[in-house]
Amino acid sequence: MNSLERILAAVRFQPTDRTPFLPQLFGHAAVTAGIPLGDYLRDGSRLAAAQLLERRTYGTDGVFAFLDLGVETEALGSRLEYFGNRYPEVAEYALAPADDPGILTIPDPRRAGRMPEVLRALGELRRGVGDTALVIGAVAGPMTLAAQLYGIEAALYLAMDDPGRHAAALDLAMEVAIRYGRAQLAAGAHLVMVFDPAASPAVVPADFFRSRLQPRLARLLAALHEAGATATWLNIAGPTADILPHYADMGADIATFDYYVAPAEARRLLPHTCLVGNLKSLDCLDPAPAVIAAQARELTAAFATGGGFILSSGCEIPPEADAANLAALAEAARKG
Amino acid sequence: MAGAPDSTVDFEPLVQFLLAGDHHAALAEAERLLAAGILRERIVTEGLEAAMGRLDDKCTVESFNLLEIMLVGRAVAAVVHALYPEGMAPAQGRATFVIATLEGDVHDLGKNIVRNVLAGKGFRVVDLGRDCPVDTLAAAAEREGASAVLVSGLISPVVAEVRRVKEALKARGLGQVPVVAGGAALKQLAPAALNVDYVAENAFDGARYLERLATTEVRP
Repeated sequence: MNSLERILAAVRFQPTDRTPFLPQLFGHAAVTAGIPLGDYLRDGSRLAAAQLLERRTYGTDGVFAFLDLGVETEALGSRLEYFGNRYPEVAEYALAPADDPGILTIPDPRRAGRMPEVLRALGELRRGVGDTALVIGAVAGPMTLAAQLYGIEAALYLAMDDPGRHAAALDLAMEVAIRYGRAQLAAGAHLVMVFDPAASPAVVPADFFRSRLQPRLARLLAALHEAGATATWLNIAGPTADILPHYADMGADIATFDYYVAPAEARRLLPHTCLVGNLKSLDCLDPAPAVIAAQARELTAAFATGGGFILSSGCEIPPEADAANLAALAEAARKG
Repeated sequence: MAGAPDSTVDFEPLVQFLLAGDHHAALAEAERLLAAGILRERIVTEGLEAAMGRLDDKCTVESFNLLEIMLVGRAVAAVVHALYPEGMAPAQGRATFVIATLEGDVHDLGKNIVRNVLAGKGFRVVDLGRDCPVDTLAAAAEREGASAVLVSGLISPVVAEVRRVKEALKARGLGQVPVVAGGAALKQLAPAALNVDYVAENAFDGARYLERLATTEVRP
């Protein structure tokens, strides 16, 4: 059973030879490769090489062509500030609080900002692993991109003070994600992870999610399915218990759950959806390999019967995570 | 007239406007109360603090979300500004706290929410903004006579900065000043791992810890 077969078996709740392993290792691959994070985030070829090395180092079942949450907003006109070994920050948002999102045009992923670097990375990753491992693209979900266009504080006030204009921003963001996601699938991704941290119940109430975000996320996931995605993956961190039951209705085949939600609770809320999680990502910072290994074993055991589980973290494992922790995690996964 | 009897003043409309996050209505009601001669200290105690108390009761870990708290916080900030247009003097607050998002992190939404929650509870909060050097934070704590230092962090690179705060305070003879951390990244770690006195699950959890400090003057 190769890595791709292992992941797809888990998605279909079929038996696997061991627990699939997809830790959210994005910028950490730059550290493993010994290159500055700032370079990794602006060069698709370097990203692809680093992700392939990360997979060889830790035995993961997939590779990620994810840069950071600034890609889409930069392509739409925001100005980013880059650093040597940190993720970039938005220095100037594409939209001022009074702006209508209609002034923006949906970017062409072949030309806009760093989107071409992501497409380049996906092509090289797919050529590198073929159909032996999962090649994962990523788009920002509508709530997150809307927040990245106005700034999150301005976007949240807008959501309440001018719901119509906020809805227009969400619609624009959804269209951006659909076009960018389709381009990623065409470039070689097996699937495109929808990453929407601003949709978390830690940020907005569950009824806000159901009324304003769920319909748009459903359309986005359907569009990715129609464009040939092997599966769909919705990744929202935080205390998601109130929204997890809706993931299946939205068409998510794979659902991230974070450390706030216990494994049994996540399974009860989503009995027929493949779950990905839920190690606490910052536990990987300070050296504690025995603790990390024990957590991984406990988590794997929780899903030993029934399947439909991929061992991972509930959020990104940060670039500064300790290598011994990740080695211990990888070893536990190999035995799991 | 200042100091009107309690029975003649109804603070409930202000409380309700605050809880609804209607900052325009809350501000208008506060201005009406001021114009009627109600002491601003009473507006803080019986209006703002009453609203924050009810919100605190409602906000469990499961139901706490930034959007609702932001809206209430914006209304609180508008009322506090109307009450103290020149800013709150040290003697006017129940205690003074210094708050910042440290160097390497520009995400200040959580910090802003904490600032407004604490203002609503009658505390004076000195906000040093985002991307703030640790030494600037320690100097402000000394200058302002802070009862506690608060740091917020959304992303992991700021962890190393947080770990330096206690030492920076000690270097100024402020080793007894408690340090409280919060935010999506920091709350995943224990106080010992961050070298702080308390890690708050959310704004209200942190406020409760600070209330206990202000009430008992207990130092770790």
